[in-house]
Amino acid sequence: MNAARPSWFRQLRALLLKDLRLELRTRDTLVAMVLFAVVAMMIFQFAFGGRGQDLSAVSGGILWATLALTAVLGVGRSWVPEREQRVLDGLLVTPVPRDLLLISRAGAIFAYLLAVEVVAVPLVTIFFVRGQEPGDLLLIGLVCLLANLGISVLGSLLACLALFARARELLLPVLFLPSLLPVVIAASGATQAVSGGTNDLAEYRGYCLFLGVYAVIFGLVAYATYEHVFDD
Amino acid sequence: MRGSGLVKRFGDRAAVDRVDIALAPGECLAVLGPNGAGKSTLLRMVATLLRPDSGALSVCGQELPGGRTRARAGIGYLGHDPLVYLDLTPRQNLELYAALYGLPDARERIDAGLDRVGLRARSFDPVRTFSRGMAQRLGLARALLHDPVLLLLDEPYSGLDAAGARLLDGVLADLGSARGAVMVTHEVERGVSLAGRVLVLRAGRVVLDEPVAGEASAFRARYEELVA
Amino acid sequence: MTDTRSTRRLAITGVLTAILTAVACFGIFFVAPEDADQGIIQKIFYFHVSIALVGLVAFAVGAIYGIRYLRTRDAHLDDVSSIAIGIGLAFSVLVVITGSIWAKASWGTWWVWTDPRLVTFVIVLLLYAAYFVLRSSVEGELRLRYSAIYSIAAFASVPLSFYSVRVARSFVHPVVFTTGGANMSDAMLVWFLVSLAATVGVFLTILQLELIQRRADRAMRRVKMRLEAMA
Repeated sequence: MNAARPSWFRQLRALLLKDLRLELRTRDTLVAMVLFAVVAMMIFQFAFGGRGQDLSAVSGGILWATLALTAVLGVGRSWVPEREQRVLDGLLVTPVPRDLLLISRAGAIFAYLLAVEVVAVPLVTIFFVRGQEPGDLLLIGLVCLLANLGISVLGSLLACLALFARARELLLPVLFLPSLLPVVIAASGATQAVSGGTNDLAEYRGYCLFLGVYAVIFGLVAYATYEHVFDD
Repeated sequence: MRGSGLVKRFGDRAAVDRVDIALAPGECLAVLGPNGAGKSTLLRMVATLLRPDSGALSVCGQELPGGRTRARAGIGYLGHDPLVYLDLTPRQNLELYAALYGLPDARERIDAGLDRVGLRARSFDPVRTFSRGMAQRLGLARALLHDPVLLLLDEPYSGLDAAGARLLDGVLADLGSARGAVMVTHEVERGVSLAGRVLVLRAGRVVLDEPVAGEASAFRARYEELVA
Repeated sequence: MTDTRSTRRLAITGVLTAILTAVACFGIFFVAPEDADQGIIQKIFYFHVSIALVGLVAFAVGAIYGIRYLRTRDAHLDDVSSIAIGIGLAFSVLVVITGSIWAKASWGTWWVWTDPRLVTFVIVLLLYAAYFVLRSSVEGELRLRYSAIYSIAAFASVPLSFYSVRVARSFVHPVVFTTGGANMSDAMLVWFLVSLAATVGVFLTILQLELIQRRADRAMRRVKMRLEAMA
């Protein structure tokens, strides 16, 4: 038995590395998420822009509606290998602090979302925005980072609640999306504020601040409740 | 390890009902009983996987639930499932666990563990390609990786092949004076032959807790009577 | 016996609530002055706002008892939490309906997305409907624990939703608080407070009724189990 407490950082790195290795081997999640995001954009195009309307004014909304729905897929994949291959007990008998399990989960969701955004943000710009400036993409990138933070924190918490539920695939979107509405509102607002040449930085800052507050609040909720998620 | 007055309810039914259990260092305890007697539930409580509804429990010198993280560092748990990722290789699985246990000499331990269970040659193939027995042997390597002071085994022989079973026999025979083991099993003869003490559960209650004496076959008759 | 005591308390609360409700209805329709601009439809304000406020309080009670449940794991606290959220959900439905009626009367349309409070209540409706979906799809002790965790997360969502909807609107056109609030006459305020008290009474009555019901259910199940064990 080791007297030294296992290093927090090493445990986190191992958990994230495990997710990365699983994803690299199976490629289940990411490919599906990216394809889903592209298809969702197509749906928006044909639903709203079928007659060749200029969708620049709603491109931010299209981006974040797409990302919110894609996030449900990513969050839904959380704990699936653990459940299907029945490894969860193995993780739980190790002296890994339970908050690390949530944090590593959130980290994985964050990475998935970021990977999807790398494809989705330029694609939305090409598909829907007329007169985009490259500098705007950086500002939108910042929105993505902030929004991902909130989404992944909330997502990892709710994914745990759905872990042992019946009809888990149905439960998760129902639990997740209502709480996600503020992110969709703020992130699409912020994106809209800087895309297509309209540079309303005051509005942009306000929304970004809100996204930060959102992440902090759900971070606190997760911090206050994580012990009870894996109660043992 | 010591537990007293342990109760765990599922709904209105008490799966484990006021159970006292104790294990001295160097001892191997077999927990016997028919299906649904609460054996696994009891073991999962000791393994810190389930929180008892009431009762006191201390594991590896740590009071639960307060000291559970420290207690976990000393527990090696092997259940029906090997508790490894099927899409990772044995080495990757053990690397994950070595990091979670915070083991300093991970590489050497992993090599030694894989040698011990005879999986060194397959250490770069995904576990999915393994037979059940091989996967369970990997599970054994995982449970022993951090050299636990308390081995908790839940029907460990059910998935093990002959080589794995021999290996586990060796581990249990060679506990030493500092380590202990609790084995849940419905195989009475095997439990009695390996353990120094038996605890028999029936419907969540302890009906017998005594050192093993005499022949396994003689005990069988008493056992049948107890759980009937 | 605690049972008779809680029954007596329920009876007292019930009677008080009935009286308060009657007084409130009488006062609102026959005593309180009619609003100069909106006329008779403004009366709905007393119900709408009271229900909305008590609904929010119900969700707060749900979250607080959720926290208390997590601390103590006393199933009784989960009862209070889930019943309070159930009442809050029912109240939210009423808020949305009365709000919609009010919108029709004063703006000529059944629904406006520009009123952040009304929109927030629709989001709240979704948030807490999900609470019951969660409850029905998890079993045993997990149900109580997960519901408690979700009740806290959902309650944190409420102000965030309100704020995000409001901020989004304020960039389009500034929100002006025209209805209720500041420009109430004293007589209106008094009757508003009475109707608020009546609504609190309704909340407490239903809460106690449900609690007694659940306790009875549980006692019944225990008796059944014992009978089965004996048989």
